[in-house]
Amino acid sequence: MATIIEINGLTKRYGKLTALNNLNLKVEEGAVVGFIGPNGAGKTTTMRILTTLLRPTSGEAYVAGYSVAKQPDQVRRVIGYMPDFFGVYEDMKVWEYLDFFAACYGVPTQQRVGMIDDLLSLVDLNHKKEDFVESLSRGMKQRLCLARTLAHDPQVLILDEPASGLDPRARIEMRELLRELKTLGKTIFFSSHILSEVADICSSIAILEAGKLIAHGDIEEMKKRLRSHRLIQLRVLGETELVQKMLVESGLVLQMMAGKEYDLPEGTVRFDFSGNDQELSQLLGQMMKADIPIVSFSEETGDLEDVFLHVTQGIVQ
Amino acid sequence: MSTTTTSPRFTWLRQLGQNPMTIKELRGRMRGRRAFVVLTVYLLLVCGLVAVLYAGFALGSNNRSTQMAATGKSIFVSILTMQSFLAVFLSPAFTAASITSEKERQTYDLLRTTLLSPRALITGKLVSALSYIFLLILATVPLQSLAFLLGGVAFIELFVSQLLLFISALAFGLLGLFLSSLMRTTVAATVSSYALVLFLVVGIPLLALFTLPFISMMMFTSATSPPGWVAVVLVYVALAIGSLNLPATLIASDVFLTEYDAIFYYVDTIDRYRVVIFSPWWIYLLIYFTFSLLLYWATIRQVKRIPNV
Ligand SMILES: Nc1ncnc2c1ncn2[C@@H]1O[C@H](COP(=O)(O)OP(=O)(O)OP(=O)(O)O)[C@@H](O)[C@H]1O
Ligand SMILES: [Mg+2]
Repeated sequence: MATIIEINGLTKRYGKLTALNNLNLKVEEGAVVGFIGPNGAGKTTTMRILTTLLRPTSGEAYVAGYSVAKQPDQVRRVIGYMPDFFGVYEDMKVWEYLDFFAACYGVPTQQRVGMIDDLLSLVDLNHKKEDFVESLSRGMKQRLCLARTLAHDPQVLILDEPASGLDPRARIEMRELLRELKTLGKTIFFSSHILSEVADICSSIAILEAGKLIAHGDIEEMKKRLRSHRLIQLRVLGETELVQKMLVESGLVLQMMAGKEYDLPEGTVRFDFSGNDQELSQLLGQMMKADIPIVSFSEETGDLEDVFLHVTQGIVQ
Repeated sequence: MSTTTTSPRFTWLRQLGQNPMTIKELRGRMRGRRAFVVLTVYLLLVCGLVAVLYAGFALGSNNRSTQMAATGKSIFVSILTMQSFLAVFLSPAFTAASITSEKERQTYDLLRTTLLSPRALITGKLVSALSYIFLLILATVPLQSLAFLLGGVAFIELFVSQLLLFISALAFGLLGLFLSSLMRTTVAATVSSYALVLFLVVGIPLLALFTLPFISMMMFTSATSPPGWVAVVLVYVALAIGSLNLPATLIASDVFLTEYDAIFYYVDTIDRYRVVIFSPWWIYLLIYFTFSLLLYWATIRQVKRIPNV
């Protein structure tokens, strides 16, 4: 499949703060990509660059082969963008709102009437057609804004936290809507804080943390990969230095946390182990042989979300 | 796209009529009763003013014809003053909010990701703001033509004054629009627009009032009076400065018309130099038209720019 979004070495600095640090990412045509990361990770920054609203400090980004910096008009033609925070023109009726944006996209007057009805039924707002936008609920406004992004039938939808501020029911509706858009053949690139929420509609995910892409790939693969991370907690009497040294030497420990820095009590080490059961028992055996006074050795169980949080913990300041 | 076959000469007009921004803004502005209430109240005020002036004339008895002309003139001048206030102060107030309000409402980004060109965006904003002001200005022209009945005002005076008002509304409107594209908040855009407008309309005459006597004092009280060409240069400098200022231009152009019967220029002799003195109105038009074009261009550029923050 063809690549429709391509981000090459994208960096964005606001003064001293590096919001995006050499980001590389490719999105295939027709994919539904969840862009996951905590607050301040740089999701909105990435999306604003992709939607030609923000100039990157360095690096390049292409949408459908067009450079966002050099060919903004062509890029705007192929994308539909829904920002994280947006306002609506309160003094407009729902149909006028859609009519205005369709006109802004150059849709001829004759086509607009039918198109507005189609869009409204897609987002289930037909009954609100003659109402003023200000009378809509938050969820309805969100759906109206989504309908607006579809006015020019774009190939790519860039949605910044489409489910934020919605109640559980509205979240489910939004998810259904995204699924429907996927069947219409749209490429959807959307952001979220919550991995578990998007896992079942995404075809792939990209995890961003402090401006860096820390994981990217097919959702099934990612799930497997995340599952292979086992979080082990170990408590010993006395010094933990020898333990840490042995863990590093094993070559199977991806990340290690110990001491006050990670808010752990004396003698406790927590580590992310990528090996299998046999390798884990071998490691324990080695420690016993070295006469390390082990008090406890246990594996933490958790769902995808927890694993994800632990995997990324070390990188968050 | 649409396949209408209008002569190419009118495509710009059709584009203007189909500009989504114009349609949206006018819909908003004209929705409800407010726009018409404002227009009605304003017209009632002007009518009241004219009625008072006319009553003053009707009650006075002696020397009918000269007084009729004087009344005509005063009706013309007082309406013109009101119109000037609209053109100078209302126009930038409307436009200064036009882009910042989109930023404040968080609708600007949505707009910028559409295919609406920056030119169409700002033309739409400008046309919708100015059309209401032009409506207010034009609505009083019939009352002004009462002055023709009374005498004392020629058609060319009305024509020149309205032309000056239009170009002022355009230029000051574009000034507000430019600052609106530059600033983040409506307050900042409005305050800075008014600061500049006040400088052009009030600041320049004040500055002239304080500096000109000083300059002439320095020059003409010294023992040897300066050569004649200095006086000529001074006349041109005064003319240029006056042509930057709406009240000065309105007054001077009218004086040129009534005193010297000069529409575009007249020739005078200053200290053995024959000097062509231009009527300021068309210089004003030239300056402010150029100024408008520059602002229009700068605003488009500003909207087109992909910002760093
Ligand atoms: N206009 C700006 N000026 C200065 N710093 C900014 C600006 N916009 C964003 N930042 C900073 O850049 C970093 C990334 O912000 P961004 O909004 O992209 O994060 P995000 O992943 O969208 O977060 P959230 O989940 O809260 O929406 C943050 O540290 C933020 O403070
Ligand atoms: Mg964000």
